[in-house]
Amino acid sequence: MERRLPLLVCFVSGLLMFIMYFSSHPTARLINLTVPLYWQIVFAFTLIIGVASYLRNNVRGIKKGESRPYRIVSVGGFVTMVAVAAIWGIKADTPFMWIFENIQIPMQSTVFALLAFFVASASFRGFRARSIPATILLITALLILLSRTPLGNLFDFLPDLADWLRNYPSMSARRAILVGIGLGSLTTSLRVIIGIERTWLGGDK
Amino acid sequence: MKRLEPRHWIFVGLFVAIGCTMLLKIPLEIPITDQTQKMYDYIESLPEGSPLIISFDHEASSLPEIKPIALSILRHAFRKGHKLIGVALYAEGTLIGYRLMQETAAEYDREYGRDYAYLGFRPQYIAAILSMGESLEQTFPQDYLGNDFQDIEMLRTIGNYDDVAGVISIADGSLTTHWIEYGGGRYDVRILAGVTAAMVTTYDPYVASGQLNALVAGLRGAAEYEKLIDREGGGNRGMLAQSTAHLYVIVLIIIGNVAYFRSRRKGRG
Amino acid sequence: MLFPVLATTANVGWFDPDKLWTLIAALVAIVIVLYTTYHRKSRDKFKVRQIAGISAVEDAIGRATEMARPILFTPGWGGDIQRPTTIASMNFLSHIAEKTASYDCTLIYPTHDPVIMTVAQEVVRESYVRAGHADRYREDNISYVSSTQFGYAAAVDGLISRQKPASIFLLGTFEAESLILAETGNSIGAIQIAGTDSTIQLSFFIVACDFTLIGEELFAASGYLSGNRSILASVRAQDILKVIIIVLLMVAVVVASINEISGEQLLGWWGF
Repeated sequence: MERRLPLLVCFVSGLLMFIMYFSSHPTARLINLTVPLYWQIVFAFTLIIGVASYLRNNVRGIKKGESRPYRIVSVGGFVTMVAVAAIWGIKADTPFMWIFENIQIPMQSTVFALLAFFVASASFRGFRARSIPATILLITALLILLSRTPLGNLFDFLPDLADWLRNYPSMSARRAILVGIGLGSLTTSLRVIIGIERTWLGGDK
Repeated sequence: MKRLEPRHWIFVGLFVAIGCTMLLKIPLEIPITDQTQKMYDYIESLPEGSPLIISFDHEASSLPEIKPIALSILRHAFRKGHKLIGVALYAEGTLIGYRLMQETAAEYDREYGRDYAYLGFRPQYIAAILSMGESLEQTFPQDYLGNDFQDIEMLRTIGNYDDVAGVISIADGSLTTHWIEYGGGRYDVRILAGVTAAMVTTYDPYVASGQLNALVAGLRGAAEYEKLIDREGGGNRGMLAQSTAHLYVIVLIIIGNVAYFRSRRKGRG
Repeated sequence: MLFPVLATTANVGWFDPDKLWTLIAALVAIVIVLYTTYHRKSRDKFKVRQIAGISAVEDAIGRATEMARPILFTPGWGGDIQRPTTIASMNFLSHIAEKTASYDCTLIYPTHDPVIMTVAQEVVRESYVRAGHADRYREDNISYVSSTQFGYAAAVDGLISRQKPASIFLLGTFEAESLILAETGNSIGAIQIAGTDSTIQLSFFIVACDFTLIGEELFAASGYLSGNRSILASVRAQDILKVIIIVLLMVAVVVASINEISGEQLLGWWGF
């Protein structure tokens, strides 16, 4: 029963949403409107689970002395934000938003900016002319990169060549991958709806 | 002290290269690409007062790249007198979106409630996109500031996507894909986007198939748009740093290959 | 009125004729999937080609056990539990967890989504029970770290830098955090197996990881590792559908070329 009920709910709701997709009838539209609203409500409750688990893990970690300084900062940050939000609210021009704009945004932008550094080191390591396919990859990368710099404007053909590479060989490959992914998603979704794929319930071999 | 590895020197080199170019002010000549032109033409072609949904589908981290894109599109839309409805599908984009709309609306004397409205954030983006397709009011009974939907003058005539001229998704990830698949695919709403450069190739197939109607791509797209609306907004300046980074990566690739071939020759010897 | 917008469509029929072709395509796909899954004869004859990433999974687990270092598995920031990629990655997790339970190797699973965390805890617990080592299961190792993209990236990067896992599995839906994680993993010398449905991130993974499962390979490998014949058989449906799509594409190219050459819409019905 523990497994059958969620499987039944999944099958019925999957089938229902599939049928509703093909209808513009007011009842179908009402269902299309209501289900996502409930979905959002359920999601809000799942965040509570996440927060409780996050706190429990970190408090336990602090007690055990595992990565203590990092965990203290994590829990401290969490408590501060909750307290500030509870006292002054979270609308614009509150201390919560001041912290968000002046601490959280710069910190997150910093982590995002790391990407540029990692792209540089990965390019240095990865683009080597080790074989013919690797050489083709290398030349293509150089052409695309050059076309994106002011130097690219010095050669009339370069921007057009780069666009051609992106729009034809590269696009064909990506489309083929996308079709494969789409079909993989389709079969996985169908397996979930008909109940043979049960890993989302914790697995059932 | 621990010795620096080659990758650390690569990082230092990039930091110095970008840091130096950020101090320079050299305007770059940037040709306008078709996609940026298409976005401009679409906003330009709409009759004055056309409602558009601007969806802030990004997090705080990408603000340096997203902001110039968002600013130039918002400026153009406000200048043309369109009615803008702001929404956010990531919690972090909520305040940023509101601030950007407020800032640009003030530049063109646009009034909240009459010329623009900000509905705020809804969790679970797929669910939010789907339910907006049925009813904007049911999805957002109140706006970001707590006003009832029906109390906002410009929203009284807006039921769902049928009543807007399009959705412009300002995104740093794959959220625009959901707009294309669920908003465009299911409700036939016109989808346009401004995205970070790293995401551009993801959207190429959708642009080619016409599912994505226009795409302003990264800082370069922002710089192009700034040129089209004749208004500086940070895109052009960022382009210089970006071009320097591209050149730096080219140099690195060449050095890497020279080193590779030298070591291979040594190995043979 | 509860939903004023709906009143405007009160006299609309139950079936939307604009979606007829979508319905036909969907029904064809469903029938093929059901046939390949439930038709015993064709199901049992079916074999999946060797995918490099699958054999590397065993090596990666063995390496971590030998080095007495943990294994890190993360499903990326871009997905949620309803995403097929996340579901596919759970089959990997189940397989890996069963092995780590047997070899007494630590498995760390940080995620950005509380629902994924709950499901992963359940998957790993069941795998440990199946392996006969329920006592080795540690719930704290499967944790929710942050819902924000770079909060999650920073947390996973921190875990990689501090715990120095010998093997890293990056399987699921990744966005801009992909290269940040993969390069950090590379810098500590971990063996990395990645797989995602995000085409742009695939290029980063190919450069920075040892093995990359490209798009549908992730689904096929997941079916293979699940050990479930029905799941594996449905992979065949993908191949049949792919052949149908290729044929349709070829017909479309011919029709479009005829239209282009003749200058007329001779086969205008193709417009659906």
